[in-house]
Amino acid sequence: MSLSLLVQALLNGFGLAMAYVLVALGLTLIFSILEIINFAHGEFYMVGAFVAYLAFGVWGLPYVVALLAAIICVAAAGVVAERLVFRHLRGKTLNAFIVSLGLLWVMQAAAQLVFGVQDKSVPSAFSGIVRLSGVVISVERLAVTLAAATLIVALYAFLEHTRTGRAMRATAQDADAAALLGVNIEAVSALGFGVGCGLAGASGALLAPIFSVSPSMGALPVLKAFIIIIIGGMGSLPGAVLGGLLLGALEGVGTLFFSSAAVNLLGFLMVIAVLLLRPRGLLGGT
Amino acid sequence: MAPRHAAVSPLLALGLLALAGVVLPLVTRDSYYLDVATTIVMSLLLTMSLRMQISTGQLNMAHISFMGIGAYTSALLAMRAGLSFWLTLWVGALVAAAFAVPIGAIALRLTGPYYFLITFAFSEVARLIFNNFFVDLLGGPSGLVEIPPPRPLLGVAFTGKLEQYCLMLALFLLGAAILVRLEYSRFGLAAGAIRQGELLSATLGVDVLRYKLTAFVLGSAMAGVAGGFFAHSHRVLHSSDFGLEPMVQLVIFTVIGGVGSIWGPVIGTVLMTVASELMRELRHYETLVFGLVLILIMLFLPDGLVSVPSRLVRALARTRARRGAIGVDVAT
Repeated sequence: MSLSLLVQALLNGFGLAMAYVLVALGLTLIFSILEIINFAHGEFYMVGAFVAYLAFGVWGLPYVVALLAAIICVAAAGVVAERLVFRHLRGKTLNAFIVSLGLLWVMQAAAQLVFGVQDKSVPSAFSGIVRLSGVVISVERLAVTLAAATLIVALYAFLEHTRTGRAMRATAQDADAAALLGVNIEAVSALGFGVGCGLAGASGALLAPIFSVSPSMGALPVLKAFIIIIIGGMGSLPGAVLGGLLLGALEGVGTLFFSSAAVNLLGFLMVIAVLLLRPRGLLGGT
Repeated sequence: MAPRHAAVSPLLALGLLALAGVVLPLVTRDSYYLDVATTIVMSLLLTMSLRMQISTGQLNMAHISFMGIGAYTSALLAMRAGLSFWLTLWVGALVAAAFAVPIGAIALRLTGPYYFLITFAFSEVARLIFNNFFVDLLGGPSGLVEIPPPRPLLGVAFTGKLEQYCLMLALFLLGAAILVRLEYSRFGLAAGAIRQGELLSATLGVDVLRYKLTAFVLGSAMAGVAGGFFAHSHRVLHSSDFGLEPMVQLVIFTVIGGVGSIWGPVIGTVLMTVASELMRELRHYETLVFGLVLILIMLFLPDGLVSVPSRLVRALARTRARRGAIGVDVAT
């Protein structure tokens, strides 16, 4: 096999993986702060895609505006969900799981009532391809990857270098201790949930032109996001990026050799192997 | 935990459940009602055994996969080897249990959300195998079809709705009797201790892994029995029958009913199945209403529907105490 084919496969895998990493980062952020697994996270991604569909596809606003609108709207929805529902469920994994399923259905049914069951398509914001010595990349995918990478770096900078970000990390490490030191963990939880959902919304808006937009579109990315954060380590942000790259590589290169079902199977076997050998994930703490 | 609901004698409750099951076909022979009732009784075997596993502190997301293993095993033995349903049903349960031993031993090394996730990964692996691998044997995406119905036994043909309902009811009551016996035994006590404090139980000499593995294997065998019945009554198997969606349904039935009591899943399964049948007319609104109900129940009744009576009693006692003597400490 030629090298360029391998590079092409890797790039194909990485392109989408970066957008999934955004979903995974939100999931892992929410898990680390509230100790709950939010199964409705994919529905926030779906709402982001619908916001982009309305703003960019229907009203014809610039794509960047649509992307920002998706982030803001979905983050706001996340804050509302946290205040109304999830703050009562901190640490109650089983109950939070059921509630997030309920939320998943409510959001899907609401989207279906508003937008109908027909798939919507969003026009491409970017056209053309880039050729680099035999490797072909569409500008659209390149833009998605770059935008996702920018958001990841922005999140990292926010968590590492701002006071609020540090408060968030402190809450994730030990909510009680953080509260004792004067961190307003209620505000931090709401903000963390909002930021996490906002990232999912961004991902939805970025992928909306690539996939079709529908109320049930959240299932696939949330599954990928789960695989990513388990491999990387739940609660670990660098882990989510690493997990995304590994999953992207596996899917990109795997499809050269195996059927897509076999690649999916490999992904889950990788999850099982990681959970057994390093239950806290590759970059997770102890 | 067991004695909390000991006000209702467990045997009496089991007897009432059996009575309700037997009375139903005397009231109606309508095939729709019998269908729904059969589904409920089959789900009950699954949710009660799932709750037994949860009672050791862990949510097994692969429960439905063991139902699938039982279903495919029983169906294939009947189709390929020509064996009788009355044998393959139990072989299916045994095979499900046999798979559960190594998988449980591996998965139970993890706890909490990590156990949840690894069992979920196992269930996806099983579903992908049912759907995409060994297609000649398992039927692939188009499913396994033309599974023979149970053969006549003692002159009774098990092809009608009524006979199948009675069969599933008998299987369920057998399973429920075992589960009730376990709940009010050393096992039930140990399970409660593990759930409330795993580390402490271990230091007090409870063999935590052994109890968890027992619950896992026994629960899987019961799921296998349900699967065997499902295969020969439905007569078609698809991988999606054993996917995330039906699994999530089992978890919802169980948790909404309440995992703190052995009767929680019974309440949850019966009420939720009947409610979703009644709401079928609502179309899109059904999922909307269903989702809202789930959220509200979990927020206001975190211990599930089974906690309603004890909550009412407590609320009544509180108002009575308040009326009786203001200023007396009523916290008990």
